[in-house]
Amino acid sequence: MLRLGVDIGGTFTDFVLVDDAARRAWFGKTLSTPHDHGEAIVAGMQSLMAESGAKIADVRTIVHGTTLVTNAVIERTGAKTALLATQGFRDVLEIGRELRYDIYDLQLDMPQPLVPRRWCVDIPERMDAQGAVVTPLDIDVLEERMTALVADGVVSIAICFLHSFVNPTHEQQARACIQRRWPDVAVSCSHEVLPEIREYERATATTINAYVQPLTDSYLRGLRVRLGDVGFTGTILIMLSSGRLTTVDGAREAPVHLLESGPAGGSMAGVHVCRATQLSDLLTFDMGGTTAKASLIQDFAPQITTHFEAARVRRFKKGSGLPVRVPVIDMIEIGAGGGSIAWLDTLGLLRVGPASAGSDPGPACYGRGGTRPTVTDADLVLGYLDPAFFLGGKMSLHRDAAERAIDTHIAKPLGLCIEDAALGIHRVVNESMANAARVHIIEKGHDPRRFAMLAFGGAGPVHAFQVARLLHLRECLVPVGAGVASAFGFLAAPIAKELVWSAVTRLDRCDWAATSARLAAREREGMHFLREAGVSDHEMEITRSADMRYVGQGHDITVVVPSGELSNATADTIRQAFEKEYERTFGRLVSNVALQVVTWRSVVKGPAPTMAAQPVSSSIDGVSLKGTRSVRFPELATRVDCPVHARSSMLPGMVLDGPALIEEAESTVVVGPDARIAVDATRTLRISLRPADARADIHGSTAARSLTLGAA
Amino acid sequence: MNNSASAPLADLDVDVDAITLSILWARLLSIVDEAGSALQRTAFSTVTRESNDFAVVLMDSHGRSIAQSSISVPSFLGVIPILTKALLAGTFPADTWRAGDVVMTNDPWLCAGHKPDIGLVSPIFFGDQLVGFIGSIAHSPDMGGTLWGAGARDLYEEGLMVPPTKLYSEGRPNDTLLAILEANVRSPQQTLGDIRAQLAANDQGARALHGLLLESGLRDLHGLSRQVRTASERAMRAALREVPEGTWHYRYTADGDGLGDTVALALALTIRDDTIHADYTGTRGIHRLGINAVANYAYAYTAYPIKCVFSPDVPNNDGGFLPITVGAPVGSMLNAQSPAPLGARNITGNILHAVVFGALAQVVPERVQADCGSACWSVVLNGRLPDREEFVEYFFLNGGYGARATKDGASVLSFPTNVANVPTEVLEHSMPILVHEKSLRANSGGDGTFRGGLGQRVSFEWRGQHAVNCSLLSEKTQTRAHGVCGGAEGASGAIQITPVRDIAPKGLTTLAPGDRLTLDLPGGGGYGDPARRSAAARAHDRQEGYVTDGEDR
Repeated sequence: MLRLGVDIGGTFTDFVLVDDAARRAWFGKTLSTPHDHGEAIVAGMQSLMAESGAKIADVRTIVHGTTLVTNAVIERTGAKTALLATQGFRDVLEIGRELRYDIYDLQLDMPQPLVPRRWCVDIPERMDAQGAVVTPLDIDVLEERMTALVADGVVSIAICFLHSFVNPTHEQQARACIQRRWPDVAVSCSHEVLPEIREYERATATTINAYVQPLTDSYLRGLRVRLGDVGFTGTILIMLSSGRLTTVDGAREAPVHLLESGPAGGSMAGVHVCRATQLSDLLTFDMGGTTAKASLIQDFAPQITTHFEAARVRRFKKGSGLPVRVPVIDMIEIGAGGGSIAWLDTLGLLRVGPASAGSDPGPACYGRGGTRPTVTDADLVLGYLDPAFFLGGKMSLHRDAAERAIDTHIAKPLGLCIEDAALGIHRVVNESMANAARVHIIEKGHDPRRFAMLAFGGAGPVHAFQVARLLHLRECLVPVGAGVASAFGFLAAPIAKELVWSAVTRLDRCDWAATSARLAAREREGMHFLREAGVSDHEMEITRSADMRYVGQGHDITVVVPSGELSNATADTIRQAFEKEYERTFGRLVSNVALQVVTWRSVVKGPAPTMAAQPVSSSIDGVSLKGTRSVRFPELATRVDCPVHARSSMLPGMVLDGPALIEEAESTVVVGPDARIAVDATRTLRISLRPADARADIHGSTAARSLTLGAA
Repeated sequence: MNNSASAPLADLDVDVDAITLSILWARLLSIVDEAGSALQRTAFSTVTRESNDFAVVLMDSHGRSIAQSSISVPSFLGVIPILTKALLAGTFPADTWRAGDVVMTNDPWLCAGHKPDIGLVSPIFFGDQLVGFIGSIAHSPDMGGTLWGAGARDLYEEGLMVPPTKLYSEGRPNDTLLAILEANVRSPQQTLGDIRAQLAANDQGARALHGLLLESGLRDLHGLSRQVRTASERAMRAALREVPEGTWHYRYTADGDGLGDTVALALALTIRDDTIHADYTGTRGIHRLGINAVANYAYAYTAYPIKCVFSPDVPNNDGGFLPITVGAPVGSMLNAQSPAPLGARNITGNILHAVVFGALAQVVPERVQADCGSACWSVVLNGRLPDREEFVEYFFLNGGYGARATKDGASVLSFPTNVANVPTEVLEHSMPILVHEKSLRANSGGDGTFRGGLGQRVSFEWRGQHAVNCSLLSEKTQTRAHGVCGGAEGASGAIQITPVRDIAPKGLTTLAPGDRLTLDLPGGGGYGDPARRSAAARAHDRQEGYVTDGEDR
């Protein structure tokens, strides 16, 4: 019985095949085929089958993650979509929140709504805040507007009426009318996509859903047919942004939940490592070519947020995107990757990123015409990378080009030698990643030191040790197969359905009987969904939570709510849970202010797959030392001869002391002097950091030197 | 300024290298942003949490700012260091501060120009040494007196004034002051809740700075402060040196009371070598309405557009502002003296950018933008609901954004302040009102090679059982957003109430059950000759209904 994880990325499609019974795993990678993703999937599957000796018919489950939805929103390739809004509110998307995301940039562009204004239409209808009808839905006007929209070529409709999360009747009536007269038009209703207060955010999520629905629908239908053609008879599951799985039908209904499908896999790989190592809290650190991503795993679970933005005008600028308030794994992304360009700003300060040389022309050392110095160029000059063994020897790097770029743009203007300038780039990029991670962790009310780091991505293992050191972490882990971590993570995720319902209620005035009944009804809906997906009742787990705040506050805290029938007694339990969490996050409680529930959430979840599989690898002989290389570390004043090991030859149980470089095809693990490296049973590297001299963190080893200002 | 005499312990009063400075500076900015985020997340009032109406500033031991939180609104530019320096020079000299002290004041001449803005300053000690200060300022929902707006006749009607006073002394709260506050404001939970949020922010910032000093091995902030300030100052001066020298004049007329008593603003903007000076001589004297600005506030809103044009990327600290000076005659509307009413000084501050851009358009036309449909309008409702204690609810409305040299202005976008709207559903959930319309006003953007952004219409009905107090602030109901470089003016705003009666565009009124207020926000000004607007852009305007043949609204 086999399970297959497939992660479609921009360049590569990654595969992980797991044989749970035999405890074996195989990894694969193939070039993506953006014109028809199914092509790469079938090709990759077939080659992995050949390698493992298995048959496609033996695969019980395929778990699939995709950037299809994100790309459609970024590239604006979705369906012609219209918005039906309450009379007087058709401009809800364009008005937005009226807030600038950058207060000093006079030239800023605001994110364009997915629906042009001519297709945003007013429909006479109105509910009040309590859900009472103020104006009944005018079906005649609705039909008139629909006729015009359909004549214009619109194929997908988003309906977002005010207060529909309190009373969805008008949205339901409008949909029924459209489905009766225009059965081929797709319809997304806001009370289903995001039943939460705040009309701009709800309308945005609903239009995104409508915009990508036709595309997702045809893709998934096509995939099912194509996989059937090559003999696949099992279940296809889809990775959601929340790190949970859904069925093909679930994904077709609410594709807005697929926006962060791929990155969610990385965090779920972290969850798997937590379970395998029994470390309950991890900071995942994924550094690639243009960005670094980090997320927290706490008590073996990924942290979920509902503050996500799609298709930002400026990728790393909060507020410059379309808000999507559906559950997403809480992840920070900063513009720091191997290709990030180092530059001097108007103050003469050294900055790295967010501009990136990407893969074309790429870093100067790629020798493809890049002349600006990048993080990878600095890593090469410092000795971390072997110019002859990049990507396992598939590509060679040009050290002279790297030096020239660093010299011209950084070293000369700052009056530094090339090596000190390279070290500066390395330190500045590590600092900015550590700062971003620190702010994120502190915002969640945690002490960074309790987390261990899990590093993956092409540049992750190169920088992980130094970032961990800046955050004062004690341990850093580098798994095998770091290059296919997301696909691996897909296989560790449970199938689940989240049911959300916004009802602003004071805790001391809640009608508990009605609330219990409503929660139970929604949970039955979730159980039905899971049963359809083949999960039996006794395997299901239901967890409830509530987004709460003090009356008058704007920031919600999510608190666990007891299961079963709720009463005034449970109100006390909920209050205590809120106070505990509030105090942990903000350091103090507020007295004499009532509590309010804003949103109720239930998650009905299937069992988490157990993953005991070992990656299959050939010829481990335990003789890993390949030689030495002259390397410069930030902690040491001069270059040292550093041992270089081959990751593929390291046996479980081996122990090394830093400094060390451990090379594998996709990356190089760089470990500084104050550390010990142990290879565990799953061949994960566990790097223990010794407490370092804190002063060296900031001052590094370059001598104090006068700053030349206004250099740039 | 030479600080070596006052810092005998500083062993690092030498410059650090560029790379170390890059790293330390990023940490300083990260510290104030962490503190700002703590403030916003724990704040109670809509103003603070939804509208970012706050700032956190880290200062050296002389009260000179070295880092300001990045999301703060422009009104707080440079304000907290002015306050801290005044405290040090006045009631609280350096040797009187103890760890755990927090000084509070809302004195408009020390803070941000009206009483709702409360400043809290805490000292930061490292060992026994006072190494710096952290200050926060936030717009409190109420400070007593007349409901916030332009309705007060003098300063005394604008509520409680707290001169610089210790809110905490060595960690012990000043219960008397807290009791006085609680007894004087309409919604003590919100006001005191926001003060607690400011305390949390100061604590967070002080803790983080402590960590930075420990890790970096610095004993104090002298050297770092000087480097940060000097680098910023040089960048600002370098930017100013690149533009031609000269003096440029601009005159601007604002609504005033909106009933005919208008406000004339006059500016002579002089760029000489690497400095810029704004002289408001010729600007009218005190207005009877509370739309008068103190010097601090006029400075903030004059320096802001200058910074946007010349050095948008330079972080906010004392250094970057040294080359910018502002003068306004004592007793004029931009240098108001006690007891002039000041409550709605934002109405005046929020239009100064247009005066500055008008002058700068004559020197650097490609870098300015046309006037916006500002100032930001506001509605404050205050009353009592059957199941609730007394409430004060705010909401803000923005007009169209001015056109730029290469693109249209965005519709309905906040400038120069940066305040979000309150979602209609949230508004209707918090009080018995029904919003009938919130939509773009076609034809309201000023024509030009690039069009000004559209304003909006918001129409709502009070549906409570009893009447409520309503404080309204509006602007450009009598005037229009200026165009630049040949661009046309935006449409003016309008206010209607049904049943029909006269309503003051700025001031207090009462809304009876069933009253419906319709607010039309002004559009932004256009940029460049309308004859040069492309046919494609005009076609697009028609297709999307931004411009129609129908009647203007």
